[in-house]
Amino acid sequence: MKAAAGIDIGSTTAKCVLLRGKDIIGRSLNPVGVNIVRDAEEALRLALQDARLDRSEVGFVTGTGYGRFKISFGQLTVTEISCHAKGAHFLFPGTRLVIDIGGQDTKAIRVNERGEVADFAMNDKCAAGTGRFLDVCAGALGYDVAEIGPISMEARHPVKVTSTCTVFAESEVTSHVSRGKDPKDILAGLHASIANRTLSLLQRVGIEPEVTFTGGVSRNEGMVRALSARLGLPVNVSPLSQYMGAIGAALAGQERLDGGVAS
Amino acid sequence: MVDRYYAELDQAEKEKRPVAYMLVGGNLTEIVRSFGYEVVFPEIVALNCAIKHKSLDYILQAEAQGYGLDVCGYVKNDLGLQALGGNTPFGHIPKPDLLVCSFSGCYVYIKWWEALAETLNAPLFNFDVPYQRTEKPLKEDIEYMVAQLWDFIHLLEKRTGRSFDMAELKRVLERSRRAEELWVKYLEAGKHRPSPIEAYFEAVFYMFPINVLRGTDQAVRFYETVNAEVETRVKEGTYPVPEEKVRLVVEGVPPYTNYRTFWDFFRKWGAVSVAATYPKVGGLFDMGFYHDPSRPLESIAEYSLGAYVNQNWPLRRQLIRQYIKDYQADAVVIHGIKSCRSFTAGQGDLRDWLIHETGTPTLYLESDHEDPRYFAPAQIKNRMDAFFESLDQRRSSAAATPGRSTP
Repeated sequence: MKAAAGIDIGSTTAKCVLLRGKDIIGRSLNPVGVNIVRDAEEALRLALQDARLDRSEVGFVTGTGYGRFKISFGQLTVTEISCHAKGAHFLFPGTRLVIDIGGQDTKAIRVNERGEVADFAMNDKCAAGTGRFLDVCAGALGYDVAEIGPISMEARHPVKVTSTCTVFAESEVTSHVSRGKDPKDILAGLHASIANRTLSLLQRVGIEPEVTFTGGVSRNEGMVRALSARLGLPVNVSPLSQYMGAIGAALAGQERLDGGVAS
Repeated sequence: MVDRYYAELDQAEKEKRPVAYMLVGGNLTEIVRSFGYEVVFPEIVALNCAIKHKSLDYILQAEAQGYGLDVCGYVKNDLGLQALGGNTPFGHIPKPDLLVCSFSGCYVYIKWWEALAETLNAPLFNFDVPYQRTEKPLKEDIEYMVAQLWDFIHLLEKRTGRSFDMAELKRVLERSRRAEELWVKYLEAGKHRPSPIEAYFEAVFYMFPINVLRGTDQAVRFYETVNAEVETRVKEGTYPVPEEKVRLVVEGVPPYTNYRTFWDFFRKWGAVSVAATYPKVGGLFDMGFYHDPSRPLESIAEYSLGAYVNQNWPLRRQLIRQYIKDYQADAVVIHGIKSCRSFTAGQGDLRDWLIHETGTPTLYLESDHEDPRYFAPAQIKNRMDAFFESLDQRRSSAAATPGRSTP
């Protein structure tokens, strides 16, 4: 049986997942630069390496994410909205609402019982409340973005961060620092601010359990906790959450293979 | 036809014939034409500038004069154009002898016309149109508007030195009515499956005569020709999209700065608009607001009152719901523009209402009609692709499971 590859070219990283039947047999994650074609090829090469598989064993390649049209060696392109829905449904079949927070986008996707998109909403023309927002604010506090989640969970008196703009939030963080606020409390405030912003997006499509959190920001435990607290609902997160788009793309390819479409 | 219209305007200025500026919604073109005026619609001039990729030059000029980022793009296009001498790629726009603020539903319009009155030193007549808050026009509203129309007529008599000729107005209205009926016939062709017309992108091109040349023989001839062409399309099986996959109702003003690009995003998915609200902005003729030569001023008042953006939201919703049913539409696409609050405010609620109350899949997109800085092609395309993908997916699932209807 041939494998299906799903490649998700996002704003900051390229992810590739190899699927054979229902099994994820390989995956990769690498940064995205200006040469998207090369980054996509590299993502596939690394995933093949991870699966110890030869390129000829891949029967179908599906691209997703903003860079999907650059995946010249693929047979299909699908939006990341459909892919995240499909991927979330695959890992958590009870999913009815997907929250995807990536580098530049936040998406709320309502999903039906078959994992199809019933409705969606996205942030518009502004990257406040996305991964980039956390990057900038972590930098302003002198942390790496990977560390801030756990630190935010140690806060005792979270501050209020009111800004709805990434650039202004950075100045607000600097102002809290100069007033001697504990970085843990500032970080907790930042996470709560994103959770509030995300909530309004989720309300536009309708909140219904189960809720599955995907995208790079879902690796941040502080964000998972802030969202869950704001929603008053548990939130599904998988170690593969960042790969959800690529998983969905691979599933779309797998469906084509099952339907008899050859590469 | 459009070239001829602008050439005629240029000629009118050279011959010192009177020129009136007017707004599209609920306009009073028949009355001013019966007094020999040429009519300029600055909104239409602005959208022509946007289609020709010139609007940003004029907008930047207006911003340099102090108009803010959030001011309507039509307003800034017009004021910038006036400041730069009125020369467009399609002709020179003459200065007005009279400004007729023919629609008061938008507060910005009044301020725009006041700014023109001050900078161009032209007299301003403000036609106060009450908001349409009931399904049928109220008798009191009609009387109030007819009284204003007589004031307007007296003003025109004074300015032109000509006496009002009711017989001439009736003749103009007769031609208007004929063009309106033919226009409605064209729009209703969208009920066929597959649709022989594109009721948004194509109809926007074809609405020029109904807004600008209403009351002329030229407008009547144009719609006769268009309808003959539509009949040929049906006979020969040539349709706007070769394979109709999705039938849409479209609401909102188009992004004129990226018109073709936006249209291509629909065509790629085999999506065709079978009905749309925006081409009715000059008059909801398909809802029965026709001009009637036997009741000239009353019917002009009813027509002005029935302008699309003068309707309250429950009426706008019902209209869209009716279109979905009558035109067998699968989904609705709403394009909001940051410039126009009177068209756009409430569209977010409309989206929710369509999804939750009528079960119609609805997509909301946002950019601007005049300002190219607000059109983000990658984001818009991504949303549209995801929307059409989800429609496709649900249709495939429904087909695979007989007995289940597509949501």
